[in-house]
Amino acid sequence: MATVPDALIWEIVRKNNAFLVKQFGNGNAKVQFSKEKNNLFNVHSFKYSGLANKKTVSVQPAGKDLSVVLATTKSKKQNKPASVSHRSILKKEFSKVAKSVINQLTNIICFFQVSDNYYRPDLKRAALARLSVVRRSLQVAKSGPKKRNRQAI
Amino acid sequence: MAASKTITRPLVSVQFLDGDMATDGGSTVPLPDVLRAAIRPDIVRFVHASLSRNKRQPYAVSKRAGHQTSAESWGTGRAVSRIPRVPGGGTHRAGQGAFGNMCRGGRMFGPTKTWRRWHRRVNINQRRYAVVSALAASAVPSLVQARGHRIESVPELPLVLSDSVESIEKTSSAIKILKQVGAYDDAEKAKESVGIRPGKGKMRNRRYISRKGPLIVYGTEGSKVVKAFRNLIGVDIAHVDRLNLLKLAPGGHLGRFIVWTKSAFEKLDKVFGTFETPSELKKGYILPRPKMTNADLTRIINSDEVQSVVRPINKDVRRKVLKKNPLKNLDAMLKLNPYAKTAKRMSLLAEKQRIKTKKDKLVKKRSPLTKEEAIKIKAAGRAWYKTMISDSEYTEFENFSRWLGATQ
Repeated sequence: MATVPDALIWEIVRKNNAFLVKQFGNGNAKVQFSKEKNNLFNVHSFKYSGLANKKTVSVQPAGKDLSVVLATTKSKKQNKPASVSHRSILKKEFSKVAKSVINQLTNIICFFQVSDNYYRPDLKRAALARLSVVRRSLQVAKSGPKKRNRQAI
Repeated sequence: MAASKTITRPLVSVQFLDGDMATDGGSTVPLPDVLRAAIRPDIVRFVHASLSRNKRQPYAVSKRAGHQTSAESWGTGRAVSRIPRVPGGGTHRAGQGAFGNMCRGGRMFGPTKTWRRWHRRVNINQRRYAVVSALAASAVPSLVQARGHRIESVPELPLVLSDSVESIEKTSSAIKILKQVGAYDDAEKAKESVGIRPGKGKMRNRRYISRKGPLIVYGTEGSKVVKAFRNLIGVDIAHVDRLNLLKLAPGGHLGRFIVWTKSAFEKLDKVFGTFETPSELKKGYILPRPKMTNADLTRIINSDEVQSVVRPINKDVRRKVLKKNPLKNLDAMLKLNPYAKTAKRMSLLAEKQRIKTKKDKLVKKRSPLTKEEAIKIKAAGRAWYKTMISDSEYTEFENFSRWLGATQ
């Protein structure tokens, strides 16, 4: 039930789960990634885990133009998978989108679902980083003559 | 623990399907205590490993394989190894090594026996603990997702369907129902995952493998749901009275996606009992209580009780001071000996003075004489010479010799 604490879930899920991707053996060169959607860095750690945290954030392309879906989990609907996430599609220019991401995660006054909002201030940097990467991946290269590289003589 | 008697149990809503009567009784059921029991992956893993052995059938090589010859060793002296060798002649077999595991036609090393310990007994309480844990884990969405089930469009976990499910007879309607409650994604995943098993199992009647889909748990004995669902790949069906750990936690991994019918769900309290009342079907069985009423670590740490007694954060960082050598570092020396400043200054002044005087002296010595001085020196020399000459003209030496008493 929803009463299972995050730390316990993390202990159960930590060694092995369906989303875990291990690379480069078991030595100190090992890296562990995680494939779940609401893992901002796709890194296998408690902080970023989308499985073990009550509050998670995901930033995904929305499929149309440059729009991006920002989804946060509703902590009171933990056991309702179909309606856990609060999704908002952001399709304005980058700076405004970035601002609304910050708002949703940290700021006190917010026009979204949570009014007194200390949602996940620790994920602010990660969310913004992912946002910019997702945006960049969506951008189509401009046509026309290429810019001259001034450094390469 | 005693307080939990008064706790109102959380409710789970029952999903109604198309064609249901709107007034099918209450649309919610209380959550059975089994689903709130302690989740113990270690127990589940251990019990699963043991129970999964119980389906094995004995196998072994023939008892006489490799020993059906009267081979004897030739002993030493024949420049061949002392392995037993097949006697006789006239055939290629004669003179070849026999018996040993390294020989062609020899027996294997440590021949397998049919009396190997194939099966494992597991304590009944442990078995029940494992089943209960697996059930509890199946109610946690993250754990079900972590097992790989597709439950994104499932309205609620635990997923309870109304009893009209138990009356269906056709697979087509079973699929329809799964689609309605968003559980078909998972069945679809299992269906698409069918592949051919790698390895020898292919020729041992285990040719195809697939992922696991949802597990349907029904409550009415002899219901036709079994037949409706059984042809769906990866979908398993079980009766509440006969829940099997091998189905609840395949591979020993917690969190099978379970679809309950309402009657099955309501029966859970009867089958497994609650935290207070023993089970009706399992004699004298009470659910294992969790060791901690609240295992939420962050909540414990941030609770008033803990926060009121912890020390405040120690913010002043004390860094190690580098020890300085007072003989090399003046500041360090001054701390130890305030007079050192004066002493040093005086020694410096004295040194300066000494150098100055020495330099003056040298300069004075090296510079050519002035005229007056030269005249003065010459005059002094001349005067001295004059007295010397006048002294040498002294004649009254006898007096001296007399004084000395010399006998000349």
